[in-house]
Amino acid sequence: MPGADTTSLSATSIAGVLLDLAGVVILLLAFACLGSKLFNRYVAYYGAQSVVLSFAAGVAAYAFGRTELWILAAATLMIKGIAIPVAARRLLIRRLDLKRDAALSTGLSTSLIAGGGLTAFAYLVTRPQLLPHGLVAAAVVPLSTAVILLGALAMVVRRHTVAQLIGWLIVENGVFLGAITLVATFPFIVEAGIFLDIVAGVLIMLVFVSGLTRQLASASASELRELQG
Amino acid sequence: MTVLAYIIIAGPLAGTVTAAGGARGRHAGWAGAAGASVTLAAAVWLLVAQLHRAPVRGLAGYLYVDSLSCFFLLTVSAVTLLAAVGSIGYLSAEEAAGRLTRFQVRLYFIFFGLFAALMLGSLETGNLGLLFVLIEASTLASAALVGLEGKASSLEAAWKYVIISSLGVTIALAGTLFLFYSASALHLAPDLRLTWPFLFAHAHALAPASLRLAFLLAVVGYGTKVGLAPMHTWLPDAHAEAPSPASAMLSAALLNTGMYAIIRFLAIAKAGLGPEFPRVVLLVFGFLSVIIGVLFMVRRGNFKRLFAYSSVEHMGIIAVALGFGGVLGLYGALLHTLNHAIAKAVLFLSSGDIVQRSGTREAAGVRGLLAVVPVTGGALLLGSFAVLGSPPFGLFLSELTIVRAGFAGASPALPLLLLLLLAVAFIAFARTTTGMATGEPASRLAASGRASPYQGRAASLTAVAPVTVGLAALLVLGLWIPAGLTTVITHSISVLR
Repeated sequence: MPGADTTSLSATSIAGVLLDLAGVVILLLAFACLGSKLFNRYVAYYGAQSVVLSFAAGVAAYAFGRTELWILAAATLMIKGIAIPVAARRLLIRRLDLKRDAALSTGLSTSLIAGGGLTAFAYLVTRPQLLPHGLVAAAVVPLSTAVILLGALAMVVRRHTVAQLIGWLIVENGVFLGAITLVATFPFIVEAGIFLDIVAGVLIMLVFVSGLTRQLASASASELRELQG
Repeated sequence: MTVLAYIIIAGPLAGTVTAAGGARGRHAGWAGAAGASVTLAAAVWLLVAQLHRAPVRGLAGYLYVDSLSCFFLLTVSAVTLLAAVGSIGYLSAEEAAGRLTRFQVRLYFIFFGLFAALMLGSLETGNLGLLFVLIEASTLASAALVGLEGKASSLEAAWKYVIISSLGVTIALAGTLFLFYSASALHLAPDLRLTWPFLFAHAHALAPASLRLAFLLAVVGYGTKVGLAPMHTWLPDAHAEAPSPASAMLSAALLNTGMYAIIRFLAIAKAGLGPEFPRVVLLVFGFLSVIIGVLFMVRRGNFKRLFAYSSVEHMGIIAVALGFGGVLGLYGALLHTLNHAIAKAVLFLSSGDIVQRSGTREAAGVRGLLAVVPVTGGALLLGSFAVLGSPPFGLFLSELTIVRAGFAGASPALPLLLLLLLAVAFIAFARTTTGMATGEPASRLAASGRASPYQGRAASLTAVAPVTVGLAALLVLGLWIPAGLTTVITHSISVLR
C-alpha cells in the first residue's frame, strides 16, 4: 500500500538516510567526472555512479519490499554499472585510442565553479520546503536535479562525442535517482520502458560515434563544421 | 473502437515486417503504403465514431484516445500515407542510381514503419510516462533514418539530432517526474498518478510550485523535439540530411507529436495554475522561434534547410497561437497544425524529386524547374505560396485566425509583430523558391532533368501523386472546412479553455 510505504521511508529512517547518502555520493561522482580530463576516468566515474545508483535502488526495494524494484536494481547494476562501461571502454576508448580529452571549451576550474553554481540553483528551485508535503525522501530531489544539471553542463563544456555521450548518461542517472525516491509508486512498465530506451539509445549512439570516427580522423564535435547555422 | 486504435498503430508496421522479412525494397514500400492507407482510414473512422462519445480507454489508462488524440492521429496518419507513397519512388530511384545499397533501402523501410508506429502510439497513450518512452523511442528510430546515407555529413547530423533530442526528452522526463511529485499529496492509487485524464481532473489540487517547474521542463524538453528556439539547433541539419520522404515525416509528423505532448502538459498547467504563466512561457518560446526561423530563412543555400527553418517558424506560430489562447487562438493553432503538416509534406516530397533530377541540394544550383519538370516546379511554387499563407490555401485561413486571436487579446503589439515577421518570411522564402522554379534551366537540370529518375510508370506516379493530393487537400481546407473537422477541433480545445 503506498500510504503505508510513504511513512516507512521518512528522512530519519535508516533507509531514508542511506538514500540521502547515496544521492550525495552520486552528486560527488558527477563532480569528479566534470573535473576530469581523461576518457578512462569519465567511464570509471560513470560506472561507479551507476553502482551507487543500483545500491540506492536496492535500498528502496528493501524498504518497500517489492520484487520489481529488486529487478530494477539488478538491471541497473548489470547494464549501467557493468555492461555500458565495459562496452564504452572496449568499443570506444581502446579501439579509438582515446586518452586525454583536449576538446574542452572552458578550463576545468571554470566548469567546476559553474557546477557549484548549478548545484546551488538546483537546491534553490527544488528545496524540500517547496515540494508537496508527504513526499518520500524529499532531500534526494534537489540532489537529482543537481546531477541532471551537471550532466548537461558536461555535455556543453565537452565537445568530444564520447564525452557528450557520457554526459547524457549522467543526466539519465540523475533522472533515475529522482525516480527511485518515488519508485514505489512509479509504474514498473514505464521504468522498464525508460531502461530499454536508454539501452537502445546507447547502442545507436555507439554506431554513430564509431561510424563518424571511421570517417573523420577524430570524432570531435568541434570539428563538425560542415553543417552550420 | 479499441480495435481501431490498435489497427492505427499496426498499419505502418506492415512495411517494417515486409522489409525485415527480406522482401525487396520496392515491395516493402508498397506494403508500407498499403498499411499507411489502412491507418489513415482507421484514423478517420475513429475520429468520426468518437465525435460525440466518451474517450476510448483501456489497459489501465495506458490507452486513452480523446478528440485531441484523434485530431493528431488524423494529421500524423495523413502525413505518413503521403510520405510512405513518396518513399517508394524516391528510394527506388536512389537504389537505381547506386547512392543507396539494397540493404540500406531495406533498413529505411524497417525504420520508417517503426518511426510512424511509435509516433502514432505516443498519440494514443494516456500515461505521461509511456508518452516519454514512446517519443524517445521514435527519436531513436528516426535517427537511424537521418544517418541512413552513411556519409560523414549525415552521420554528423544524426549524431547531433540524437544527442540533442535525447537530452531534451530526458529533461521532459524530469518534468514528468515533477508532475508526479506535484500529485503526491493526493494519496491515490499509484498507477493513476501519471495518467493524464486523472491529473487533468485533479489539476487544481496539484502542488503549484512543482507543477510550474513540471510545465517549464516539459516545454523545454518536448520543445526540443518540436524545434522551438533556442533548442532547434538539431532540426535544420537533420531535415537537410535525411532522405526527403523522411524529412517530410520529421517536419510534418514528429514536430507535431512533440507539440501534442506540450499541449497535454499545457492543459494540466492551465487548469492548475491559471492561464497567465503558461501564456507567458509559450509566447516567449513561440516568438523566439518565429524570429530565429525567419532570420535564417533570409540566407540562401540548401533548400531543404530553408524548408526546415520554415518549420521552426511555423512551430513558433503554433506556440504563439496556443499562447494567445481563447477559442480563436486554440482553434487556429490546431487548424494550423494540420495545414502546415500537409504543406510541409508536399514541399519536402517535391524537394526529393528536385534532388533526384538536379543532383544538388543547393538552391543556387537549381533554376528553371517549371520549364523542365512542370509538375514538380508547379508543386514547389504552389507549395511554397501555400506554406507562406497566401490565399486560397488552408494556411491563410489558419494564420488569419491566429492573428485575429492576437488582436482579441490585451495588446495589439504582439499580433502586429507576428504579421511583420510573416511578411519578412514571405519575401525571404519566395525569393529562393521562385528563383528555383523560374528562369533558364541550370545546365545539369537541362541535360538530364527531363529523363525520369524512376523506374516504371508506377514509381514515377508515386513521386507525383502525394504532392498533387496534398496540394488539393490544402486547397480544399482553404475553401471549406468539413463540419466533422470543426467539431473535432472544438472538442479538442475544450480541455484547454
